Amino acid sequence: MDMINVKINGKEITAPKGQTILQIAEANGIEIPTLCYIAEVKAYGACGLCTIEVEGIPKLLRACSAVASDGMVISTDTPRVRQSRKIALELLMSDHTGDCKGPCSLNCPAGTDCQGYVKLIAQGKFKEAVELVKDKVPLPASIGRVCPHPCETACRRKMVEEPISIAFLKSFAADEDLKSGDKFMPEIAESTGKSVGIIGGGPAGLTAAYFLAVKGHKVTVYDAMPEMGGMLRYGIPQYRLPKEVLDMEIASIAELGVEMKNNVRIGADVTFDEIKNAHDATLVAIGAWKSSSMRIPGEDLEGVYGGIDFLRSVALKNPVKLGKKVAVIGGGNTAMDACRSAVRLGAEEVYVIYRRTRAEMPAEKVEIDEAEEEGVIYKFLNNPVEIIGEDGKVKAVKLQVMELGEPDAGGRRSPVPVEGKFETIELDNVIMAIGQKININGFETLELTDRGNISADTETFRTSLDGVFAVGDATNRGASIAIEAIGEAQKASEVIDSYLNGKMIGYKKPYVSEKIVTAADLADREKISRAKMPQRSPEERIHDFNEINLGFSVETAMNEAKRCLECGCHDYHDCKLIRYANQYDVKPERFAGDKHDCPKENELVYIERDQNKCVLCNLCVRVCDEDVGKGLIGLVGRGFTTVIKPEFADRSVTEFCKTCQKCVNACPTGALKTL
Amino acid sequence: MRIVVGQGSCGIAAGAAKVYSAIEAVIGSSAELTITGCIGMCFLEPVVDIYDGETLVKRLVKVQPSDAAKIIDFVNGNADAVNDIEITDDDKDFLLKQTRIALRHCGVINPEKIEEYIADDGYKALEKVLTTMSAEEVIEEIKVSGLAGRGGAGFPTWFKWNAARQSQGDYKYLICNADEGDPGAFMDRAVIESDPHNLIEGMLIAAYAIGAKEAVVYVRAEYPLAIERLTNAIREAEEKGYLGDNILGTSFSCKMRIKAGAGAFVCGEETALIESLQGERGMPRLKPPFPAQSGYWYKPSNINNVETFANVSWIILNGGEAFASMGTENSKGTKVFALTGKIKKGGLVEIPMGKTLRDVIFDIGGGIKNDAQFKAVQMGGPSGGCIPAELLDTVIDYKALGATGAIMGSGGMVVMDESTCMVGMAQFFLDFTAKESCGKCVHCRIGTKRMLEILNRIVKGEGKEGDIELLEELCYSIKDGALCGLGQTAPNPVLTTIRYFRNEYEAHINDKKCPAKSCSDLLSYAVVADKCRGCTLCARKCPVDAISGSPKNAHVIDKEKCIKCGACYNLCKYSAIVME
Amino acid sequence: MSCCNCNKSDLSLINDVLDKYACVDGSLITILQHAQDIYGYLPVDVLYHIADRTGSTPAKVMGVATFYSQFRLQPVGKYLIMLCQGTACHVNGSEKIEKAIKDELGISDGETTEDGLFTLKNVACLGCCSLSPVMMINDETYGSLTPEKTKEILRNLKAKED
Repeated sequence: MDMINVKINGKEITAPKGQTILQIAEANGIEIPTLCYIAEVKAYGACGLCTIEVEGIPKLLRACSAVASDGMVISTDTPRVRQSRKIALELLMSDHTGDCKGPCSLNCPAGTDCQGYVKLIAQGKFKEAVELVKDKVPLPASIGRVCPHPCETACRRKMVEEPISIAFLKSFAADEDLKSGDKFMPEIAESTGKSVGIIGGGPAGLTAAYFLAVKGHKVTVYDAMPEMGGMLRYGIPQYRLPKEVLDMEIASIAELGVEMKNNVRIGADVTFDEIKNAHDATLVAIGAWKSSSMRIPGEDLEGVYGGIDFLRSVALKNPVKLGKKVAVIGGGNTAMDACRSAVRLGAEEVYVIYRRTRAEMPAEKVEIDEAEEEGVIYKFLNNPVEIIGEDGKVKAVKLQVMELGEPDAGGRRSPVPVEGKFETIELDNVIMAIGQKININGFETLELTDRGNISADTETFRTSLDGVFAVGDATNRGASIAIEAIGEAQKASEVIDSYLNGKMIGYKKPYVSEKIVTAADLADREKISRAKMPQRSPEERIHDFNEINLGFSVETAMNEAKRCLECGCHDYHDCKLIRYANQYDVKPERFAGDKHDCPKENELVYIERDQNKCVLCNLCVRVCDEDVGKGLIGLVGRGFTTVIKPEFADRSVTEFCKTCQKCVNACPTGALKTL
Repeated sequence: MRIVVGQGSCGIAAGAAKVYSAIEAVIGSSAELTITGCIGMCFLEPVVDIYDGETLVKRLVKVQPSDAAKIIDFVNGNADAVNDIEITDDDKDFLLKQTRIALRHCGVINPEKIEEYIADDGYKALEKVLTTMSAEEVIEEIKVSGLAGRGGAGFPTWFKWNAARQSQGDYKYLICNADEGDPGAFMDRAVIESDPHNLIEGMLIAAYAIGAKEAVVYVRAEYPLAIERLTNAIREAEEKGYLGDNILGTSFSCKMRIKAGAGAFVCGEETALIESLQGERGMPRLKPPFPAQSGYWYKPSNINNVETFANVSWIILNGGEAFASMGTENSKGTKVFALTGKIKKGGLVEIPMGKTLRDVIFDIGGGIKNDAQFKAVQMGGPSGGCIPAELLDTVIDYKALGATGAIMGSGGMVVMDESTCMVGMAQFFLDFTAKESCGKCVHCRIGTKRMLEILNRIVKGEGKEGDIELLEELCYSIKDGALCGLGQTAPNPVLTTIRYFRNEYEAHINDKKCPAKSCSDLLSYAVVADKCRGCTLCARKCPVDAISGSPKNAHVIDKEKCIKCGACYNLCKYSAIVME
Repeated sequence: MSCCNCNKSDLSLINDVLDKYACVDGSLITILQHAQDIYGYLPVDVLYHIADRTGSTPAKVMGVATFYSQFRLQPVGKYLIMLCQGTACHVNGSEKIEKAIKDELGISDGETTEDGLFTLKNVACLGCCSLSPVMMINDETYGSLTPEKTKEILRNLKAKED
């Protein structure tokens, strides 16, 4: 065979004469992007991504068709080439209508593939579902029970009737997996010999421990409390998250070889420096464990407790003593946990005092309702101005009556005092559940934010100290929900891994395509009610701390999972378009304009075609024509409005498509789908 | 005497066929009546020439059917009968200042009679080639002449011929690109309609040079008369033995046929043209391979444009050096331009390379209509650019025109005055290219669409800061990334207008004003109170009742209601309505 | 052009054309041009028939028929108004002529009036630049148009039909 010598990106290469530049590059491990070339059909030259520069030739060449000649000096990654590819990708994305991922996944702070595991549950593949969840969240049984599920808030099924019960499906699958006797355990990479110290054994710390251990690092978790779990154990009541479930999930993490050291308080038992020096990298995930104060007179009276302090005492099975009448101040989930715990501890009258109205309460609606079922009395539009004491003990609380004023920047209507209008209620206890703060003792060497939280880079999670990373409630904006901390911890574990491998790569939010869907688009969907979680009756449950939710049956769970609209693209993980779009850092918004509009159809019977995702690479047409020899589809129209359409006089020809499917396999995006 | 009516498409559109019928009805036996093609003086159509033998005795212009009697009167001896419709000396200059090679028979001979072509040295060049020259000698002669492709790219003709000649292959094709797509150029149509045998002869010489046995003319479907006359000419040539087997008794054989296009500008690109010839969607192929290696039916093929072929027989007869003696260092011979737009004397102009734009527009074209201010000239159509007034002395040659950002192109020359909005002009061309994009490559399919959208919003007054830069970025990327010439040149009208008229873009974007007062969304109409006589005419004619006022009192325009149709502005006898 | 009221085209009308061209490679555009001359447009069943006779796939025939602006898949009105959109016409105000046509007939590019009389089609240059703005109605060319003149021409044609 005749051989030629070429130089690609400075590398001397010998290749057979007659090959294209693309073929030579591929054979030598040099990636040149292309959407419209595959080996089975002739080069076409539409996508313009495989452009390259050749010394002495002023124009860009398309590598898919340019045959290399001896002595060619080829560059595949010059600024000019990158710009040309970037513009092509931006133009393509500007004319692309589709959801790479479902809104559930996009709205999940941890980026869990909700649609993916819901589908696996619908198929009865529970272990696989758990495996997919654990790609992002190693505590699915626990998180599924307690998560305020932003995924469901975003779920489009709500435009049909109600969102999918994504969170409970997650805990359902995890429960099934745990009790199967053959639970999912990830493969662990070969030991790297590096060690990571994690301070804090809450959801964030445990998550990081899981992922870093899977990557082969030696992980030690240090925690100040007697047992691991952090706020999941000490902040969430047993009736919502039984500690037995949490124990099992923690045990699974320990099984990966993670060393867990409890009762280690930084500053008292060991110094931060000692831990830092003992490991190649350190992650600070200490949470926010101090109740915020309301700064009103009487807060120091006996019988006044902080919300999380109160919950912790209950979790430690040493609850503070409550009187008959208890008021919880605040409208969040901690307030709900506190008031419902108070009911279970035997308080006769439990009030929740909140400045705004029910509609503005940040707590989950289901919790608000359940608390009410359990006898909790809401006092809305009331703001405590003084806790009145007698003999050093709480006697009453004075409330300023409020009304709703103009919406604030966030759209929530702010409460404003009604001049001179007050109310007083007699009380034995006040539980202030209005927020949490970080306890920085022992970490004074770390740089803090204006709010007094640990300052961590939003992409690398790095703190002011080299090799020290921080995530979760203790950082930046302060306390948030568990899944947020888990999401940060999972991302940070990737960064720490790259740091340990010698080159730190920060987290970058991937670019995805999203489309706008309205209720009208879903008008044709059959209405199917959301599965109701079976529960113990309020009368029964207020007497103990046993879990109130009884869990889905297999049938209920599978049926619920089948309600999923499957918004995200089936091809997201294999889609070349989105992979390149991310590689080239596209900003298609600047070219926003008309889009070619073409509904989904399945005229090919066994293949669904969504032209809104079509990039007109014409591979399906060419494969069907050149490779398969059928020519069932073709280009119609010209220019921007060109579409690809099946055309045949007799539908029976599509029987062939059932087994062929070559067009589906050739499609570089998710425009074609096997039905 | 012989009465000759100019019957090109333009002339017919202006009424030449009716003039012919009118004369025919009254002519009797007083004279012979015949037709010729297009003389290129479009501004004077219909044109009627009266010959005495071979001598042109009268050229009559803007002739109406009602003038038939006068014409007959003249041929019957009344010497003054047609004085009122005779061409003026000034208008005669339009032709006298030209040098006609490609157009030398146009408007002179009858295009439907091969005898007239033969009588004017027709097919002598073919005879010379077939009987005295080798293919190499023909190519050498063309090389000496410096003839370059007249279709737009200006590639040396001999080089293409030579590549096709040297390409290995048992069967070769010669193709004529008559898919004249530039909306504003019509010289190719004029040549085919007026002198089809000149095209055939040029093609046959090329076929001989490259060794092609088959020739195809790809003609725009919108040119029915050209197709008709060329079909007739091919038949005539076959009958006379100029086409077919053993032409003029030599061993050279070549057949020729016409293929009508079906309406796609992109088919002017040679590989798209080939796809179309093969009955496919006219989408360009990847190059290489070039048509010289693998073209029509994947055989070696050579494609030239009509005007290029129209020069060939003259070069063979007069020698390459005679051709090369005209023009500049890098551009030889003559070039035909279709002079249109806001020009006094529009039509076909053939001049030697090296003249200036001013020579063409002012000296030959007579300047701007209504003596308005010259603003710019658009050259090269959708692939070309706008050249501003300050560059009027640019020399017509490939290099000099290229340096302005425009191109020689196929010769469209659209003249614009101060009432033409340059942003609107760019929008017009992008609208054209976006519609004509075949849709194959991403840069062109979506890129031209996005450029058009940006231009659309600018002329609507919705332009944003950064739009000019965004346009420029798109322009350069499309030039770099598009697959074929259509896409690669589509940004030129935008780039040249930004280059020379950036202030107009800025006025649209920043001040929401159209300096040319052309973009209706940016205009408003108002009554100048002290000029208004209260005649009520505008109020009565306003289609949306946006004007109110009582008789003899100044009127007022309700700007909310006004749809900016401009009716009031055009109607007002007192210039009391202003457009801002 | 239908053979009866069944909305099917009379396929025999195109047999002569197909006999001549069906086996000649590269003739698809020529066949479609003839078909359009015969039927006035390209009915889908005729396209399928052409595919069948030429051995092409219907997808390919449809692809070609929708690529070129000359071809139409819908019938046109009795009067086909081809409005020139060339550069010279643009510079000399073809936009105003298009608006006049729209005002008079209520149709935009590619549309046909409800009575089936007029179809408006914007076309690339007709090559009568010196007469710009220009339109062609069936075979007649009308040059140096103004909005008023355009409306008058259309009204005259309408009057002829009444």
